[in-house]
Amino acid sequence: MQASRRAFLTGAAALSAAVLTPETVRAMAAMQAAADWSLATADLEADAPRRAMRLVHGRAPAGFEGTLFRNGPGKFRRPGGSATHWFDGDGLMRAFRVRDGAATLEARFADTPKRRLETELDAVVTPGFGTPGDARARVGSNDDANAANTAVMAAGDAVWALWEGGSPLAMDGGDLSTRGFVALRDDLKGMPFQAHPRFDPDGAIWNIGLWGDRMVVWRLNPDRSLHTAEVVGLPRASYMHDFTATARHLVIVLQPWVFERRTLPFAAQFGWKPELGTQVLVLDKTDLSRTRLFELPAFSYFHLGDAWEDADGTIRFDVAAGRDVAFAVEGARVLVEGRGSVPGEPQQLSLVTLHADGRADMISSGVTGEFPKSDPRRAGVRRRYTSHVAGETGGRPLPSGLAVHDWETGRSSGFDFGEAMIVEEPVWVPRPGRSGEAEAWLVAPSINLARGVTELHVFDVGDVASGPLCSWRADFALPAGFHGAWAG
Amino acid sequence: MIRIACAAAAALTLSAPSALAQDGGHAATLTFETGASTGRVLVALYDSEAAWRAERPAARVAIEATAPVVAVFRDLPAGDYAVKAFHDVDGDGEMDVNPFGVPVEPYAFSNNAVGNMGPASWERARFAVAGDVAQTIRIR
Repeated sequence: MQASRRAFLTGAAALSAAVLTPETVRAMAAMQAAADWSLATADLEADAPRRAMRLVHGRAPAGFEGTLFRNGPGKFRRPGGSATHWFDGDGLMRAFRVRDGAATLEARFADTPKRRLETELDAVVTPGFGTPGDARARVGSNDDANAANTAVMAAGDAVWALWEGGSPLAMDGGDLSTRGFVALRDDLKGMPFQAHPRFDPDGAIWNIGLWGDRMVVWRLNPDRSLHTAEVVGLPRASYMHDFTATARHLVIVLQPWVFERRTLPFAAQFGWKPELGTQVLVLDKTDLSRTRLFELPAFSYFHLGDAWEDADGTIRFDVAAGRDVAFAVEGARVLVEGRGSVPGEPQQLSLVTLHADGRADMISSGVTGEFPKSDPRRAGVRRRYTSHVAGETGGRPLPSGLAVHDWETGRSSGFDFGEAMIVEEPVWVPRPGRSGEAEAWLVAPSINLARGVTELHVFDVGDVASGPLCSWRADFALPAGFHGAWAG
Repeated sequence: MIRIACAAAAALTLSAPSALAQDGGHAATLTFETGASTGRVLVALYDSEAAWRAERPAARVAIEATAPVVAVFRDLPAGDYAVKAFHDVDGDGEMDVNPFGVPVEPYAFSNNAVGNMGPASWERARFAVAGDVAQTIRIR
């Protein structure tokens, strides 16, 4: 067992490079008492069975039918110890189901080993992205620390709850019950599968999983079975939550938040070194050994938009770019405290261009924004619109509106609900039978802070400024989620 | 000498380097719940924390995983013991790992102990033998 144990120890040591992740939005509020926005990180004590939402504005557009699945942390605090970072709460899968103009809402916790242990102990003990954990933790493999709390991908009659340090967790799409961790192949069990897979127009799925200065590149068939998995070396051991892709290339953005030391929590391993600049590694999808490396001034980020390529090989993609990692480290901790001033400046929606001659540049739209999303019918190919959350003013953390940016005209069209609303990530829903880029809806939940309830809104991509086409209101509030996926 | 018996009885190995014969010793019966019935379950018994840390088992056994998978360590002097086991599902004699070095074949420790960012500690896995003892270990 000697060799085996050594292998296990190596794996376990590397495990600390495998814990969880993120989302962002921001803040700078100064609030002394429990803030009104604290509903965003409130605890949900038990699964929320399916309840009807009430239509409070407009009516559902014809053809708008399906389910918005959303994931995000739903419980942080336990008597014997609590998660101290927004990215470390228990995964809570939400389903907003729309049919015949009516909407329902339900939510169910991912039944992970972490949640089972912490329920038994009545204490959060497992190390996470920003939560140190303690000696009571039971972490025999990275999936023992898997919070399954970051994003969601539809997979047949199931949904996969995604986290970035471990395996997808399959949950039933009908009742959200947990089925178990997904092993895409026996010898790849436990390999990290990050929270932001990219989709080719033909349905092929690409994803990455980080492990220090290496990553696994996953390629899945449209039916979610494994096509290939390949391990690739990286020029630096950078923390990243996302990657992007064109039809022909994978684009890996290596921010200068780089590995410095083995420690817990996970985020404490990385040092922010702006002097290193940001690197962008481009890999040929048909031969991952064919790479190009671009250099940009330093910026931080969590989220990228879909990339595309011009005829001459120029690659473009959007990024919600930040100046540093203050929000990731400190802001997301204060968010869970639910009071006070939340460190970190809002991200700016920016566009990176990687020129065919090896130069790279980045321009800012001048617009504050996070969660960049675009038309799924144009994933990896030329497009002009990017949706994002917006409206952070510095007076309060988290966004209060959403916007669509037009990269061709430079114009931004947005809608702001005002300070009493926290708007979550809008997801694109193409209009059935239509193909125009603006022929789509944006569907986004919000927390109505004045009423203390969760809402669901549908916007026309081409006319966001006119406000929601329709809104439904639940009679209870769920904490803010991170990422969603639409299943029509 | 520590004697080992396997209920499944197929592949029985014995290696108890320095344990003295001890009349009237005790038996530890370990039943393994496996998730597959192929390959073998490899079990190592340790009789001290030092041996646990240094990978010096007092005895080892390999048991065919066709049910039931039971390891019996006999003639044990009274004291504390702990067990490490892994299920060599494909029967290649190695604990298979994924490309990042994390085990992909099931492993377990006595008391069904789980480690904290590593193998279970002696403290979590040890059990007292002062008379015959038995426990069921989930290895799947």
